[in-house]
Formats: sequence, structure tokens, C-alpha cells
Amino acid sequence: MKRLLFGLASFFLAALAFAQTPGDRQPSVILAPLGNVQLRAGGAADLTLDFRIGADFHINSNKPRADYLIPTVLKLNPPEAVEVADVKYPAGEDMTFSFAPNEKLSVYSGDFSISTVLKAPASAAAGTYPVKGELRFQACDRSACYPPKSIPVQFQVTVVKK
Amino acid sequence: MKRNVIVFVMLVVVIMGMLAAGKYLDRNRKHGPIKLVGNVQNVAAPNFDLPALDGRRVKLSDFRGQAVLLNFWATWCPPCKIEMPWFVDIQKQYGKDGLVVLGVAMDDTESAKIAEFTHEMGVNYPVLLGTDQVSDDYGDVRSLPTTFYIDRNGNIVTKAVGLLGRQEIEDDVKKALSSSYKPAKVEPSRAEAVVNAAQAKEATQ
Repeated sequence: MKRLLFGLASFFLAALAFAQTPGDRQPSVILAPLGNVQLRAGGAADLTLDFRIGADFHINSNKPRADYLIPTVLKLNPPEAVEVADVKYPAGEDMTFSFAPNEKLSVYSGDFSISTVLKAPASAAAGTYPVKGELRFQACDRSACYPPKSIPVQFQVTVVKK
Repeated sequence: MKRNVIVFVMLVVVIMGMLAAGKYLDRNRKHGPIKLVGNVQNVAAPNFDLPALDGRRVKLSDFRGQAVLLNFWATWCPPCKIEMPWFVDIQKQYGKDGLVVLGVAMDDTESAKIAEFTHEMGVNYPVLLGTDQVSDDYGDVRSLPTTFYIDRNGNIVTKAVGLLGRQEIEDDVKKALSSSYKPAKVEPSRAEAVVNAAQAKEATQ
């Protein structure tokens, strides 16, 4: 069912891109649906967030090659019972514009995943907690760039006692 | 499985219908007289009054009688950065013929950072601080770079969205310069003063 939803969302974005003329097109990044994360109090769990970038667009990686570029950043605001212990971004792929072959950019395109490690303190009370945040990115296509944008990221963590 | 297929087909039909309706409504949407929509060729370029990086205010109408290359850009835009040295050269080469290059920075950041960036890039033309209003007036400029080539009478010759080759840019500049000026009764012009000030500042840095 999740795959169907992700596929439908991708289809919708592709249709949207098709319906727009060049210059009107707007980049899109979508997050694959996330399940409920189970976490034992005092323990840790890995959570991978899968994103898909609209066809023909790319976004800067988390470590773009120049200071003036806006990196892709995941910001999560967990409740007290949950801690975001680590966030790992994938390495970007090299890309150049045809008019400046010497200026390499580090970008994500297509699908990419961000890995996180979530922890619950031993003192965390059992319960289900929402974790909210956002992915901030700045997208371009082969000839133009678009203003920085954020999409919401939200999932639930269920903390169980040992 | 069969139910999923039916749901999928219905969703596709609904989405396509919404897209078609959106296109139709957009085409028929009423706009104010000064906002650019659709084909902008030979349309009067909307006037603006924007602050420049050096603190002065600049109006498009200040440059009547000169051709204007109006470039919307941002510091976070790599293709915009590629064009900048070309605009510097073009301003040097065609300035004597009556061309003015104007940059409109669409960054949502403090002007000092934009100034630092333009200084590093050796920009020799006035850079203005863009607003949502000017973006809206010029047809909701969201793709950068977007460049308008404006003739000596303030009419748009052509609009270019995205990075073009230098030769295409020069061809559009020549088209804008080829127009002959038909002066109005009142002819305000601070153009040379603004461009000279920008070039003088560049020379002292």
C-alpha cells in the first residue's frame, strides 16, 4: 500500500511537471511514507527516510562545494522522550553545467535516503510520540534554479519499557 | 487487486481533470495592467523603484533612451554565477552604445552578503535588491536566472529563462540596442549617473 501511495505521489508530480511549460516548472521533493518506529527505553533504533526528487531536477547535497550554495538539511524536533543521536546524509554526485564544465557541484537527484539513529533515554515514559521536522533544500534543473524550500517531515515513535 | 486498479484509474482521471482545470483557470485569470503574463514581447516593462547595493534608489524609468538588460539572479544560483562575468564584459563592450546592465538580487539575505558576492565576482553594473512585488510585476519570477531585454523606449524585446549561451545573450542585447528612441515630452534620466557611480566604485575597489 505504501509503495502504491509513493508511486501515486510520484505519478502526480510527473504529471504536474508535464503540464507546465519551461520556466513554470517547480521542483518537488517527496518523502516516502514512514511507519511507526518502535524504540525501547534506553535503546536505539535506525530510521531511514527515503526521498524522491522530481524528474529533471537536482538539489544540493548536504555538503555542496561552495559556501554560497544552500545545503540540503534535515531538521528534526523530537519530544523529550526521543533523541536524534545521528543524521547521516548520502554523498552527493558530481554535476556540471554545460557552460561551466570546470565548476563541479555536489548534488542529489532521483531517489536519496537520509539515515538517522533515534534513542530513548532509560527514563523515557512509554507512549507514542510525534517527531516533527523539515527537509530544507534548494533545487535546480539543467539551466535554472529555484528558491529554497522546505517540506514537512513527520513520523511517530513508540517507546516501550524494557 | 482489481479494487486497487479501479482506485488508481479514478485517481489518475481526477488528477488529470484538476490539472486541466488549473491550466484553464490560469489562462483566464485576470491580472492587473502592469503585471506581465504570457508572451511579453513588445510589452512595456513594468517600472520599479528599488534600492541598490550602494544605498541609492533606482527606477527603470531612469534609463529611458538606453537599452536595459534586466537580470534576476541570486547568490545561491550557479547558472546565474556563470552569466555574471559575461554581463561584466557585455556592460564594458556595449555600455558606450547605450546598454545598461541591471542585476536584481532575489536573495532572502542581508545586502552585505550580496555585496560581498558581487565584489568577488567583479560586478561592474548596478545590483538592486529585489522584492516580491517586482517579481510579481515581472510575471512571478521564480526560475533564476531570468533576464528581460528592454529596448530604449522601455518595451520588452525578449525574455530568457534559464542559462543561455553568451552568443545568445549578445544577440538579444543587439536586438534591444537596435531600437530607436522616441522620447516622451518629459525625459527623466539619472541613468548615466547611476552606471558611472557603479563603475567608479568598482574602479576604486
